[in-house]
Amino acid sequence: AGQPAQTISSITVPMGHHWVGAHRNTRLSPCTGVVPFVALLLLQRRPVSGRALLVTSSSCPSHSLCRSNVQEQTRRQVALLNATAQDLFSLYLKCQGEPFSSESDELCNPSGVFFPAFRVNRTSERKEVMVAMYKLFAFLNASLGNITRDQEELNPTAKELLDQLHNTTKTTRGLISNLTCLLCKDYNIFQVHVSYGESSKGKRAFKKKQQGCQVLRKYVQVIAQAARILLPHLTPP
Amino acid sequence: MFSGWNWVAYGLCLLLNFCSLEVSGGLVQSCGHIIPESPVLALGSNFTALCILNESCLDFGNIYANQIIWKIKNKVVPKEQYREINRTVSSVTFNDTSSLATPLTCNILADGQIEQNIYGIAVTIGLPPEKPKNLSCIVHQVSKLIYPMTCTWNPGRHTFLDTHFRLKYRWPQDEFPDCIPKDVNNSCTITDVQFFVNLEVWVEAANALGKAESDRLVLDPIEIVKPLPPHNLSVNSGILPTVLKLSWENLISGAVMKLKFNIRYRTTGDTNWIQVPPEDTASPRTSFSVQGLRPYTEYVFSIRCMKEDGVGYWSDWSEEKTGVTTEDKPSKGPPIWRIIDASDSPASWTVRLMWKTLEPFEANGIILRYEVTVRAKSSLSSPAEKYNVNTTNLTLKLPNGTYEVTVIARNRVGASPPSVLLIPASNSKAPVKNVRTLPKDGKLWVGWTAPNSYVLKYVIEWCLVSNSSDCIIEWQNEPGNVQGTYLRGDIKPFKCYLITVYPLYADGQGSGQSVKAYLQQDRPSKGPTVQTKKVGKAEAVLTWNHLTVDEQNGFIRSYTILYKTVDGNETAVTVDPSKTEYTLSSLTSDTLYTVRMMAYTDEGGRSGPDFTFTTQKFGKGEIEAIVVPVCLAFLLIVLLGVLFCFNKRDLIKKHIWPIVPDPSKSNIAQWSPQVPAKHNFSSKDQMYPEGSFTDVSVVEIEADDKKSFSEQDLKPFDLLKKEKSTSEGHSSGIGGSSCMSSPRQSVSDSDEGESTQNTSSTVQYSTVVLNGYRDQTPVQVFSRSESTQPLLDSEERSEDHTGGGDGTTPRQQYFKQSGGQDETNTDRPCFERTRQITPTNEGDLVGFAQLQISGHSSQLFGLGLEKNIQEAALPDVLQTSIEGQTVRPETVAGNPPSADEMPKSYLPQTVRQGGYMPQ
Repeated sequence: AGQPAQTISSITVPMGHHWVGAHRNTRLSPCTGVVPFVALLLLQRRPVSGRALLVTSSSCPSHSLCRSNVQEQTRRQVALLNATAQDLFSLYLKCQGEPFSSESDELCNPSGVFFPAFRVNRTSERKEVMVAMYKLFAFLNASLGNITRDQEELNPTAKELLDQLHNTTKTTRGLISNLTCLLCKDYNIFQVHVSYGESSKGKRAFKKKQQGCQVLRKYVQVIAQAARILLPHLTPP
Repeated sequence: MFSGWNWVAYGLCLLLNFCSLEVSGGLVQSCGHIIPESPVLALGSNFTALCILNESCLDFGNIYANQIIWKIKNKVVPKEQYREINRTVSSVTFNDTSSLATPLTCNILADGQIEQNIYGIAVTIGLPPEKPKNLSCIVHQVSKLIYPMTCTWNPGRHTFLDTHFRLKYRWPQDEFPDCIPKDVNNSCTITDVQFFVNLEVWVEAANALGKAESDRLVLDPIEIVKPLPPHNLSVNSGILPTVLKLSWENLISGAVMKLKFNIRYRTTGDTNWIQVPPEDTASPRTSFSVQGLRPYTEYVFSIRCMKEDGVGYWSDWSEEKTGVTTEDKPSKGPPIWRIIDASDSPASWTVRLMWKTLEPFEANGIILRYEVTVRAKSSLSSPAEKYNVNTTNLTLKLPNGTYEVTVIARNRVGASPPSVLLIPASNSKAPVKNVRTLPKDGKLWVGWTAPNSYVLKYVIEWCLVSNSSDCIIEWQNEPGNVQGTYLRGDIKPFKCYLITVYPLYADGQGSGQSVKAYLQQDRPSKGPTVQTKKVGKAEAVLTWNHLTVDEQNGFIRSYTILYKTVDGNETAVTVDPSKTEYTLSSLTSDTLYTVRMMAYTDEGGRSGPDFTFTTQKFGKGEIEAIVVPVCLAFLLIVLLGVLFCFNKRDLIKKHIWPIVPDPSKSNIAQWSPQVPAKHNFSSKDQMYPEGSFTDVSVVEIEADDKKSFSEQDLKPFDLLKKEKSTSEGHSSGIGGSSCMSSPRQSVSDSDEGESTQNTSSTVQYSTVVLNGYRDQTPVQVFSRSESTQPLLDSEERSEDHTGGGDGTTPRQQYFKQSGGQDETNTDRPCFERTRQITPTNEGDLVGFAQLQISGHSSQLFGLGLEKNIQEAALPDVLQTSIEGQTVRPETVAGNPPSADEMPKSYLPQTVRQGGYMPQ
C-alpha cells in the first residue's frame, strides 16, 4: 500500500457500447420465459475496445470497502463464473438455433475473435495475476454486455439466457470492483490498460451470434484457467 | 376649527392615496412585506421577522414602523417583542417558535384607529430529521437468480415536516441510484444486488430543516441471504423398513452459496416434529436418508436451508411431503384377557377371549389374522386347539380346568411373538393391595401396591357404572414392574367407573381388587326427594331414596336436611349418606314445615324438591286419654239413666207413653138394665151373646175451641173415616148411636151438605154403662134414653155435665167395637162416628152438634159381612136421611173423598145450600 502509484495503461477511447437492462415481456422456452425482465443494473461505462479505466483519481477508491474479505470474494466470484460459464455457453448455443447448436465447434472457434491474452500461471507473481485478471474481466464485462444487448435484440424471449447473461455480467462487474480494490489496496495500481477488441454493433445477426459464441467459448476456457491460477493467490496465508 | 378640517382633509387624502395605490397598474400592491417569506422553523428555536414598509406608503399615508402591530392569527403579539429598527422596518422576535402559528401578520394602526393589514406570512414549524437508526438489511431470494435486498430502519421522531428518506448504497468505486421508499419511511427494497462485493448502505433523511444520515452499513449481500427453501422434495422408501430417503433440489447454486439443512419429520397425525440432528445435514447436499423410523408408518417431512457457515437466515420450511416405511413383522403379541362365565354349567366355562389390536408401531404392518392356541394344562397329552381368527375375540366353551392361551398376530412379513394367558381354575394368588385412583391431566390414574410375589403383568379392568346401561368391560395390560397407570380409554367426567386390578403370575392370577372412581366429579344432577313416613306432634320421620348412579355425578359425601316453618329460620341437619331415613325432632305441634334435602359431592350439593308437612296437634295417646274417659263417663250416664227409667217406668209411661185403650178390645159391659127390653136387640142378642161383646174401648177426645180438630189430631180418624166411607157410613153413633141404636134417622158421614137437623121427632139416646175397660176407669156411662127431646141441646148439656171436670172442652166419646172378630173384620168396623161441628165464623155456633149416625141394625151388626154388602147398605141409609131433610150426600160409591177432604167430616160444617145448620 505504500508503493507509489503506477500507471499500467491508459488509453482514452470514446465511450463505446453500453447496455442497459430493459423491462420486457417475453415468452419463449427454455431460452424464453414469461417474466417481466428487470435488468437492473447498472450503466456500463466501458469502452468496447482499447479502453483502459480504473479510477479517475490518482488514489484508490474507498478503502472502507476494501476489506480483508475482498480476496475471498474475488475467488468466489471467479469460482462462480467458472461454475456457470459452461451452462451459459450451452444455453447460448441452444438459444441460437441451427447451425450453432450442431456446428458449434466450427462456428464458435474462438481463434478468429479477439480475446485478451491470459498468460499467467500459478507461479506468476500475484500482482501480475491480478492485472491479467483485471484485463480479462474488464474485457469479459464489456463483451458480455454486448452479447446481452445482441441477444436482447435477437432472442428477446430467451429469458433464461438473458438472465444468465445479466448475472454473469453483474458478476464480472463485481469482480472488477473487487480487483480494483485489490490492485489499489495491495499494489496502489489504479490504472490498467485494457484491450476490448472489435465491437459487434452494426454487424449482421449471424455475425453477432457467432461473435458471441466465439467469445463465450473462449470465456469458458479462460475462466477455468483463471480459477485454477487464482486460487492459490487468493487463499489466505 | 381649522385644525379639525385639516385632519378630515388629511384623512380623505390618505384614503385616496391608498385607493390610488391599490388600483395603479391594475394590481394590488402592498405597503410592505415580511421577511423571511414563509419560513420553516425548528420547533423551540427563536425567530425574528421583519416587516418592511414601502416608501410610497410613507409618502402618502404617513405610515411608519412605530405604527406596526404584529399579530399571530387574530392575537396581537405583545409589544415587548417589537423593535423598531428604523422608520420603515419593525421586527418581532419569538424566543420559542412553539408560540407561533400561521398566519403571522404585519398590521398598521392608521389614523382613526383603523387597523390595516400590511402583509402576512405562513409559518411552518417542525423538527429536523433525526438520524435513522437500526438500519438492517436482508436479501430475500425470490428466484434462482434474483435476490432483492430490503433494508429497514427506524426513521426517528416525527418531524411535522415533509421528510424524505433515501436508502443509499455503493460499491467501492460505484455509486448506485438511491432507493426511495414508497408509501413508507422506514424501509426500501433494492431490486437486485450482487454477491461477493462489499456494499456500503446507509439512509439519508432530509427535510426543510436539515439532513441526517444513519450509520453506514458495510456488508456483502451474500451474508444476509434468506434463501428459498429446497423444492421438489421427495420421499422414497428404502430397503430397510426403518429408512426413508429424501431428495430435493436447491434453488441457489452451490457456487453462489453452500448450504446446510434442517430436516424435520413426524408421523401423520402427530403434531410434534422430530428433527434430524443438524450436524448430520450441515453440509451441502440434495438428499438424505432418515433412519430409525418405525416400520409401516407414514411420516411427514419438511426441509429448510441456509448458508453453510450459518451467516444469514434460515429459509422457510419447505412444503411437506409424506412417505411410508415398508412393513416389518409385528414387534409384540397382542394383549389378551378373558371373561369367564361359569353360570351356564358347573362343569364348564364359557370363556370369552379378548385381545387388543396392536398399535401401528407394534403391528408394523397390516395384521392379516390372529392365531389362537388353547392348551389344557392338566392334560399335557391332549393336543392344543388352534383357531385362526380375523376378529379380536373368541368365545370358547371349555371344561373346568387350567388352560394356556396364546395369541399370535401375523402380517405379510411375519408373526408376532406369542401372547400368553393362563386361565386358572380360580383366582388363588395374592391380590394387589391398596387400589386407588387419582384424576390427573384429564386422565384417570390407577395405582396399587404390588403383592410380594413376582408379577408378570397386571390387567386393569374397568367399566362404566350406570343405571341405563350394562357394565361393558374395558381392560388394558400393564407390565409387572409398574404400580400405577393411566386408563387408556374414553374416560368421561362425572361418570362412575368400577376399576379392578388383577395381578398375573407365571402360574396363575390373583383375585381382582376393585375401586370406584370418577375422573371428575360434579354436583349431583338432582337432590333426593324427601317425604314423610310418619308425622307426630313434635317429630317427623323422613324417608328418601338414594340417588341413582347416573344422578350422583360423584361420591355422595353427605345429605343435608333443611327444614323450616313458614316464618321461621331454616334448620340444617347433616345426615350420613348411607341412611335413607331420619327423624326430625323438637318440632312444633300443629305447624306447617317445609323440608328439602340436599345431596353433596366433593364439588357441591344440589337440593331436591320441597316437601311440606304439618305436625300433629296431639301427640300419640293424647286423644285416647281424652276420648276414653269421656266415653266411659257417657256410658255410665246412659247406664244410670236406663236404670232410673227402669225404676220409674210406670211414671214415665203414665206421662209420656200412656196406654191407649184398644177399641177393638173394648166391650160394652152392660147396657142400662132399665131399657134393655125397649131395644130391638133381638138380633143383636143373637149375634152377640152375653159375654161376647165385652171389650169396649173408650176414646176421649177433648175438643178445644179451635184446636180440637186439628188435622193432626184427626189423623187417627182419617183411617176410620176412610173405612167408613168405604163402608158407606154404616157406623154406629156415639152417645147411643151405636150399631145397636134404634132406628132413628142418621146422617151420612158425607162431608158436605149434611144437615144436622134431624127431622125425626124422637131420638133415642143411649148411655153406655161402663164397667171399665180392663183396669181403666170408665169415663162415662151411657144408657139408652127414651127421651124425645132434641138431641143436641140436651146431649150437649148432658155432655157438659157428664163430661166430668172439663167444662170448657166438650168431650166426645167414641166406641170402637171389637166384636171378637178377626182382624179383617176389625178393619171394617161397624161403628158410628161422631161428627163434631165446630163453629168457625159464626158466633151462634156455640157448640157442636153431635150427630149420631145409626145404621140399620141388621146392617150394623153385620160386621162379618163383605164390604160390598156394607156399601150396598149406604143408599139405604141415605135414603133414610133424605126423607127427613135435604141432605146431599157428598160421598158416593165409586167417588170416595180424597184423603185431604176426609178431615172435613170432623170439622165444623159449612152451611151450604140445603145444608145442615148447627142447632
